[in-house]
Amino acid sequence: MSIKLGSSELAKYPFLQEASEYIHETKFDFEEFNRPEMIHIINRAAEKLESELKGNVYSNLDEYEIEVMTFMVSLLLIKSIGLEEVSRKCSLFEAMRVEKFLTTDLSNERSIEKKRLLVQKIFLELFKINIDVDSTSSICKLSVPDYLQRASKMNEQEWKLINRSVKDGYVYLDTDETVRLIRNELSNLIYSRIKNMKIVEIPISIKSKADELRTKYSGRYVYRNQFKILEYPPCIKHAMEIINKGENLPHSARFMLATYMLAIGKTVEDVIDIFKNSPDYNEKITRYQVEHLAGKKGSHIKYSVPSCDRLRSEDLCFAVKECENLINPIQFGRRKII
Amino acid sequence: MIQVQNTEENINFLRNVFRKYYFENKDFPYLYSVEKREFGYRKFDSLVIRHISFKNTGELVAELVRNVPLDVYYSNAYYGLPSNPINEKQWEGADLIFDIDIKDLNLPCAHEHTYYICNTCGHVNPEPKLCVNCNKGKTYDTSIPCKKCLTSIKKEAQKLLDFLYCDLGIKEKFVEIFFSGNAGFHFHVNDPSIRSLDSYSRANVTDYIIGNGFMCESIGVRKYRNGFVIKLPKSGIVTGWRKKIASNLGINQKSELKLKKIVEASGGYEGFRNELKKMTRKNGVPIDGQVTNDIHRVFRLPGSINGKSGLTKAKCDDLESFNPNNEACMLSDSEVYVNPKTKLKITLKNNTFRLDDALEKVPSYVAAYLICKGLASISNAQ
Ligand code: SF4
Ligand SMILES: [Zn+2]
Ligand SMILES: [Zn+2]
Repeated sequence: MSIKLGSSELAKYPFLQEASEYIHETKFDFEEFNRPEMIHIINRAAEKLESELKGNVYSNLDEYEIEVMTFMVSLLLIKSIGLEEVSRKCSLFEAMRVEKFLTTDLSNERSIEKKRLLVQKIFLELFKINIDVDSTSSICKLSVPDYLQRASKMNEQEWKLINRSVKDGYVYLDTDETVRLIRNELSNLIYSRIKNMKIVEIPISIKSKADELRTKYSGRYVYRNQFKILEYPPCIKHAMEIINKGENLPHSARFMLATYMLAIGKTVEDVIDIFKNSPDYNEKITRYQVEHLAGKKGSHIKYSVPSCDRLRSEDLCFAVKECENLINPIQFGRRKII
Repeated sequence: MIQVQNTEENINFLRNVFRKYYFENKDFPYLYSVEKREFGYRKFDSLVIRHISFKNTGELVAELVRNVPLDVYYSNAYYGLPSNPINEKQWEGADLIFDIDIKDLNLPCAHEHTYYICNTCGHVNPEPKLCVNCNKGKTYDTSIPCKKCLTSIKKEAQKLLDFLYCDLGIKEKFVEIFFSGNAGFHFHVNDPSIRSLDSYSRANVTDYIIGNGFMCESIGVRKYRNGFVIKLPKSGIVTGWRKKIASNLGINQKSELKLKKIVEASGGYEGFRNELKKMTRKNGVPIDGQVTNDIHRVFRLPGSINGKSGLTKAKCDDLESFNPNNEACMLSDSEVYVNPKTKLKITLKNNTFRLDDALEKVPSYVAAYLICKGLASISNAQ
């Protein structure tokens, strides 16, 4: 095939095979990171990392060589910081960064061949999913089993097969949906690259940057597991599980979770902490929203917990026997204390 | 759940005819990868034994002829070590199986041919209440499906096949249809590309086939403030469930206005949602989700005898013409005496038998059918 991805495109996807080939070809040596001109790359990687830890996608885009190096240095940094939460969170935001580029590339790219090539590179090379792009509609199609393997892990009802365009063994998705489908996998992929990285020696320049970052961030995650799930109602338990897995919760579920926690007497701080683990966590926004629900902002009305009826209609209810006759999740477990 | 009145005479009779069948039908042509399957069986005392494995069909048949179980099961899963405890079997994949049953159709004819049998004294009661004979036992029901039942279940079977072939794109060569041996059909899908699906993915397929969880948004009706707005999905409404619903509603990609009227007429978003629920259930097939979603389950072995009826789990090559009372009725013709517990009429192997509740000479296959159903017992009369 004569069509190739140019370096400006590849810069956005520094985890592809091409990147390691590039490093290999230039006979790059880790020791070179100790050279003064590399400081720039190390600082850039650190900047990206910090932005991710604050809950922002790092959207600066530089030349291919710089991106490949930055990517490599960030992985080394994360590895040598050695904090699980940092690894998780950065992997996720790295994935979201890719997601952003990929969505734009796929929807702006005019040439169907190029689109196909991009999709195949990323989906086939990394995830062994065969995705084809329909030449007239630009809609992506993938086989039902490939779809199911990913979509069945998503909680939102819209991902259920029944809500999709399905025909002759294929599921049809628009480009955003296609990209969203692999978000979790992409983040897992980056995460596992960090996990499986075997480095004999991390260059001193990177190591000292990592030490600096570790000191700065290690304190932040101490409170994470302070809530033991005692006997929350199933709907709440379910939402907590999703959060604890570091997956995304739909808005309605966040509303339920936050109002419930406030209602049983957790402080705004406690509630914010619960959301710390969610992928798109942004402290400022979360704080504002929780304070709002707690009646400390805006309308000064404290929001109440949605009724079981409403939760049922939003598909957030996972009723068990003990839920019988409940009107509101807040009642769950109370009857036991007589 | 004891379905057979297990007097020693009944058990002896059944064991003999079952053994003869297994002795004469040794091949089990629809059993693939024997060595990777877990087997299990139900003995005549109702005890279920699992985690057995066989190296080949010969070993299996030898076991069946020796021990003559009431029911024989095998796993849909392929295991590296099939006889190990469940967590150490080394799961390698599983066929995708669907199960539809007449009783899940809630047909109006059911009461005409359902019998309520006392689990204590075996008396056939007219109603599912405390046994009128012994005043102690509870009843379980047993049914002799009628022609209407069969027609209805075949219709569901056809709908299921349409889902499998047209939507899921499964090739016909990977789908085998079996009569369950009693009142339903089993569909075994052994397409290698779906063997590795986990139970979440299978549950997703189940919901697709049942018609569970279709959202108003998928057909373009979105909740908005206290009302709704119409916004048809970008990826269209011309495939899958969207297409089914669209044609039920009589709309297409340009019918935004019509759709709006429909939603209004059904009382807004919530009302429309309820309408949709009914519509999807009607268009879906009531398969047993637990069966499909379980990747470690054991299923009745194709070609084995169903202890609830004495009929076999027979391969069904042509749904339309398939008649289980002929094609799945495989036991011996030799005649025996039975005591039917109630008046009844039954057609097997193209012969119709009208029985009173008095001693009667019938072929063994009729006797076995009635005894398995709890509707007769064997007699020693010569
Ligand atoms: S019944 Fe109420 S408390 Fe129970 S799961 Fe559903 S919403 Fe939660
Ligand atoms: Zn009784
Ligand atoms: Zn009937």
